[in-house]
Amino acid sequence: MSTIAPKFKFSEFVKSLIDNIFWIIVIATLVGLPLIMIALFYVDLPVIDGTLVTPFLALTWLSHPEVALPLVKSFMTSDMFRIMAFPGFGFAALMAAGTIFIERKMLAKMQLRVGPFYCGKIEGILQLMGDGLKLISKEIIIPAKADKPLFIAAPLLFVGAAAAFVALIPVAPGWVVADVDVGLLAVFAVIGFFPIITVLSAWSANSKFPFIGGIRALYQMVSFEIPLILSCLGVVILTGTLNLSEIAASQSVVPWIVFMPIGAIVFFICMLAELERIPFDLPEAESEIVAGWLTEFSGMMYGLVQLGSYVKLYAFSALFVLLFLGGWSGPEFWPPLEQELLEDGQTIGPISLQFPGLPLFSQEFFSAVIWFVLKTMGVMFFVLLPRGVFPRIRIDMLLQIGWYKLITLAFVNIFVALGLVYAGVIGPGGMF
Amino acid sequence: MADPTFVALSVLTIASAIAALELRSLIYGAIALMGTLGGIAGFFLLLDSPFVAMFQIAVYVGSIAVLILFTVMLVRRELIFQKVEDTRRKWAGIGLMLAAMASLGAVVISSGIDAITTAEPAVDFRDIGADFLTTYWPALIMMGLVLAGAVIGAMMLARREDIENDQRTS
Repeated sequence: MSTIAPKFKFSEFVKSLIDNIFWIIVIATLVGLPLIMIALFYVDLPVIDGTLVTPFLALTWLSHPEVALPLVKSFMTSDMFRIMAFPGFGFAALMAAGTIFIERKMLAKMQLRVGPFYCGKIEGILQLMGDGLKLISKEIIIPAKADKPLFIAAPLLFVGAAAAFVALIPVAPGWVVADVDVGLLAVFAVIGFFPIITVLSAWSANSKFPFIGGIRALYQMVSFEIPLILSCLGVVILTGTLNLSEIAASQSVVPWIVFMPIGAIVFFICMLAELERIPFDLPEAESEIVAGWLTEFSGMMYGLVQLGSYVKLYAFSALFVLLFLGGWSGPEFWPPLEQELLEDGQTIGPISLQFPGLPLFSQEFFSAVIWFVLKTMGVMFFVLLPRGVFPRIRIDMLLQIGWYKLITLAFVNIFVALGLVYAGVIGPGGMF
Repeated sequence: MADPTFVALSVLTIASAIAALELRSLIYGAIALMGTLGGIAGFFLLLDSPFVAMFQIAVYVGSIAVLILFTVMLVRRELIFQKVEDTRRKWAGIGLMLAAMASLGAVVISSGIDAITTAEPAVDFRDIGADFLTTYWPALIMMGLVLAGAVIGAMMLARREDIENDQRTS
């Protein structure tokens, strides 16, 4: 008999299981069903084939593909899907997870190591899942002298701010959570929250390493925000809009990096600093101040901060793609579907097939997303690359770069943009 | 009938402003101040001017609140504040504030501003920019000069001779 549960009785175990099932059924019928009924009043259900889809016939949908597919399609156009799944947080989190694995593997190969290897059969492909399970099951330790509410709220706020950043990023024409007219400004407003969250979490831990790291993060982020904003101004001058979708759509012929390589370089370096990547990882310099402002986080709190920072990495890379690399524009992979096929369905010999609701997406959407993801992954690769080759720089060098060189270069970029506009190359009557 | 969003924003703004004044912890006071400034950004959003709202968040919440936090963290509290508990002064302050608000409110309400209804579309920020560059260009240049003067003055004040150090190369 095991010593962990010496009084274990199988009959008691079964009884507890049945008890739980009983209570689940009771609570689900008395609380869950009424809640669902109340919530259904506020859900806009789609009209398919002239009849309103009622949730009371949910089981019959399963046997009717001609209802199920339009239902899926209408779900995909809903706001909830956008926020949670595709251009929103789910997609970004997936990209972030992929980035973590690729980063570890790629850095290992660069430094002639093997990297994650044993978890999963092929090249440690399940390492991330293992790490995630470990973080979830780990105990969350809060330091005794810490300021509890702030300390607990900081990781959640960090992930929330990163998600707000992602919500502003368009992935394909029309596929964006929040299509605001002042998108770029909203991005800067969201970026402004990161130093606050960092320094508050560092202060609330009440420990010296997080505090030093938090102060460094504050210095770094605040001083690099200025060249970051200035380097985007060139693009705004050339496009005349702050809407990110319009900025991306304006580069269907030539991406702005061709005209403004200086701005792109400044933006990229500021991006590295804002993301606390090596060589600018002073806030979490692990060889001097343990783990910087992350020192006291444990378990899933650390996991949330990591998730937030990688989601932020994705969002910044996507912003670089939108501003300088032309967004989703690129040659199409497949020709658009013929109108005939869309209206009458496919006819093969005597059989004609037509499913209402198909195709779920247009071909343009597919090629737009593929181009966007490819470009974003390329930028992410270049963000990860310095970690394998560069040492960390000193804080005075960091501030020197930020305040003297990058700001000067950003102004040079603005004058390049102004010169292009006044010379008539770009703008009304120009080439593009 | 008041707009519920407006009421919620007003409660948030005023409650966090009071909290910013009254909280003993300076950090929480700074956070409450951020709530106030964010609430004001919400008012700008309600007034159909997202441009100003975003600048409100980026500048006031993102920079000025950070500056306050930074100052609070780097300076020891005992050195900057001397606690003077004086209930009479506190009540006098509240009374003065109420009197000032009542008189200002009376002026505003009697001015007939609540009778104005307008269906004009919101002013685009591009129009504001165009106005600044055409009609009001002297004001823009004056602002630029004043800001440049302020920055140069701040740099002169913060300037110090570099400490000689052989270890530093750059």
